[in-house]
Amino acid sequence: MDDYTVGILTNIGLISFIALSAYLLIIAGEMSFGQQGFFGVGAYTAGVATAMYGIPLPVAAVLAMGAGATAAFLVGLPTLRLRGLYFAMATLAAAEMFRIVFELLHFQRDIDGEPVGPDGTQGFRGIRWVFENGVEPEGFLALVWGMLAAVIVLFLLVERSRLGATLRMLGEDPELARLLGIHVERFKLGVAAVAGALAALGGALYAHHNTYIEPRNFDIMLGVHSLAYALIGGLGTVFGPLLGVLVDIGVLEGSRVFQGYRMIVFGGLVALLLILRPRGLLDERTVHWLKRRFA
Amino acid sequence: MAKAAFCLVLALVSLPAFAQRLQGELDCKPTRTDFIYNCTVKLARNGEPLSGAQITVGADMPSMPMAHNVKPVKAKAGKAPGEYEATLDLEMLGEWAVKLRLAAPVKDQLILLYEFDEQGARQVRRGDRPPRK
Amino acid sequence: MILDLIQNSFDGLAMGAAYALLAVGFTLVFGVLRRVNLSYGPAIMVGCYAATWVSVAFHSNIVILLGVTILGSVLAGAYVEKLCFAPHRQGSAIAAMVASFALWMQFEEAVTLVMPKHLYDFPPMFEGGPLAVGPLLLRPEALVMLACAIVICAALQFLLARTRFGLAVRAVIDAPIAAQLAGINVPRVLLLVFLLASAVGGLAGWLIVSTYTQVTPMLGMWSTLKGLLAMMIGGLGSLRGAVVGGVALGLVEAHSQWFLGPQARDLIAYLLLFVLLAWRPRWMTTQSAS
Repeated sequence: MDDYTVGILTNIGLISFIALSAYLLIIAGEMSFGQQGFFGVGAYTAGVATAMYGIPLPVAAVLAMGAGATAAFLVGLPTLRLRGLYFAMATLAAAEMFRIVFELLHFQRDIDGEPVGPDGTQGFRGIRWVFENGVEPEGFLALVWGMLAAVIVLFLLVERSRLGATLRMLGEDPELARLLGIHVERFKLGVAAVAGALAALGGALYAHHNTYIEPRNFDIMLGVHSLAYALIGGLGTVFGPLLGVLVDIGVLEGSRVFQGYRMIVFGGLVALLLILRPRGLLDERTVHWLKRRFA
Repeated sequence: MAKAAFCLVLALVSLPAFAQRLQGELDCKPTRTDFIYNCTVKLARNGEPLSGAQITVGADMPSMPMAHNVKPVKAKAGKAPGEYEATLDLEMLGEWAVKLRLAAPVKDQLILLYEFDEQGARQVRRGDRPPRK
Repeated sequence: MILDLIQNSFDGLAMGAAYALLAVGFTLVFGVLRRVNLSYGPAIMVGCYAATWVSVAFHSNIVILLGVTILGSVLAGAYVEKLCFAPHRQGSAIAAMVASFALWMQFEEAVTLVMPKHLYDFPPMFEGGPLAVGPLLLRPEALVMLACAIVICAALQFLLARTRFGLAVRAVIDAPIAAQLAGINVPRVLLLVFLLASAVGGLAGWLIVSTYTQVTPMLGMWSTLKGLLAMMIGGLGSLRGAVVGGVALGLVEAHSQWFLGPQARDLIAYLLLFVLLAWRPRWMTTQSAS
């Protein structure tokens, strides 16, 4: 497999993490414009851990997930009672605040005579754990997709379980859920924390794939894109967001015909698609139909 | 068992970072075709020009990561020691993070920030915040 | 120190006037269509770029450029309405929003294809620098901004309260089905409100680019963000709130930047919004659009 394909496939995997993070929140009833903040928190935490303190990547990834979950909890707590656009804007504000904090973060250590660490708007370069440990691009690709597969399996298990039903009910009708004895607030916080951890894991992997991160990587564009992938691909199944990512990055990058016009074509397709399928490609009706056909 | 694990963790933590001290510089000239540049890469290690390296040159846009996948090109050896030539096909002007991925003599990756316009490429040193828009 | 405060307040008020206009445009769409238009800023950007192109090609004067900006914004807005909002009128608000995001992407790429440089100069509103009034520096652009905001808001109030069109709009907001039954062409009213919002946005855009004398592709996202921020700080859904929010945002930014720098400026603005949303004082949730 050549470098280009490996690169694209890795990117597809990485963005899927944040798309799934947004998806999780949507089916629990909240639209978040801020998952990119947790992606960034994960990236910086993991980068600091491996590049500045020599902590191996698996441990760093766990630390990143913890940081992401904590950050998501801290954002989720004050915004519990917010709905719709209010919640969306609050998450947007929170993510932007994280990004600005990254711009102000100057935290470097001298490693072998060279300063290593986040340097505000200059970014954080030298996250070279994969090179120092001989991980080939194909190997890293396998790692990313391996973790993604594990996440997908978890999602599928949850969707079949009572937990999944509770989740969707929370999204559809929180009042009913409350009447049925579900602790709506606690549940929502839990979901927010998991989504934050998921985004952070993606960020940690992204930091090590790129070896360089900067605050601009985690701006609103990333957040709105991830939300869009979930909404375009469909909210009926965990494969929906993945499909959304594939459609944008996979198909349109692959066809170099659209060089320079990719966004125009993609944007037009999405707008037209939404007229036909407002709940995305793999929406609940379609998934239900597919399940009946093939199960 | 716990002691062994502790020692392992300690050993891993105390491994020194690979001090390769790679430095790179780009000199790009626009071609007749829009957004295609002929670039000369100057690579040095610890101050000495590094020849004979296998470099693949790619690029990504900082403000939209993972979105613009520029097809990576293998750099050919250039005229002077430590110099390499590559033709970059970018989709648009603006700031790009050029990725130099080395396969030999060491495996490493160097990221250089350059602003591409009609005249060529200028190195970016992001100091204060850019103007509001 | 007092002087700094006064100077900053004045600058903040001027910028706040531009933010207020952006917020007003957003509020018109949200209040009447109950939808968020993520292409609002980008449509304004299209208008500004059209004016830049005209300026580069014909060196027109600044007033003609104002007309071009508004026209460009309105045309782009019409495109957005037809593709994103009209089809989902009785459908999903989320679908409309995601579609507007898709068109935002289109606008950004289209603009960089036609005008590829990252930064273009825009002719200034006034040649010559700020006027010195005692120890203060008064930029004439600031006065124009404030005047425009006041005039537009008064005009909109008049439009909504005293004209037949305004009556139709209010009917559509309060009771869309009844309005339809009463013979009001609801889709047409919605389109006109949308175009009106785009026109107001175009004016705001022109004010901004002729004050800063530069145009970049970031203008789209920037305008959308500032408009959303101002609208939400002032309380969602009311024109008065939009103005209050815009002015508040401008003042907070001006003072934060002076004392703490540009990063703090943005940080504090977002923090302000977050805190307001978390506490949700009752005045933030007025749903009326007047």
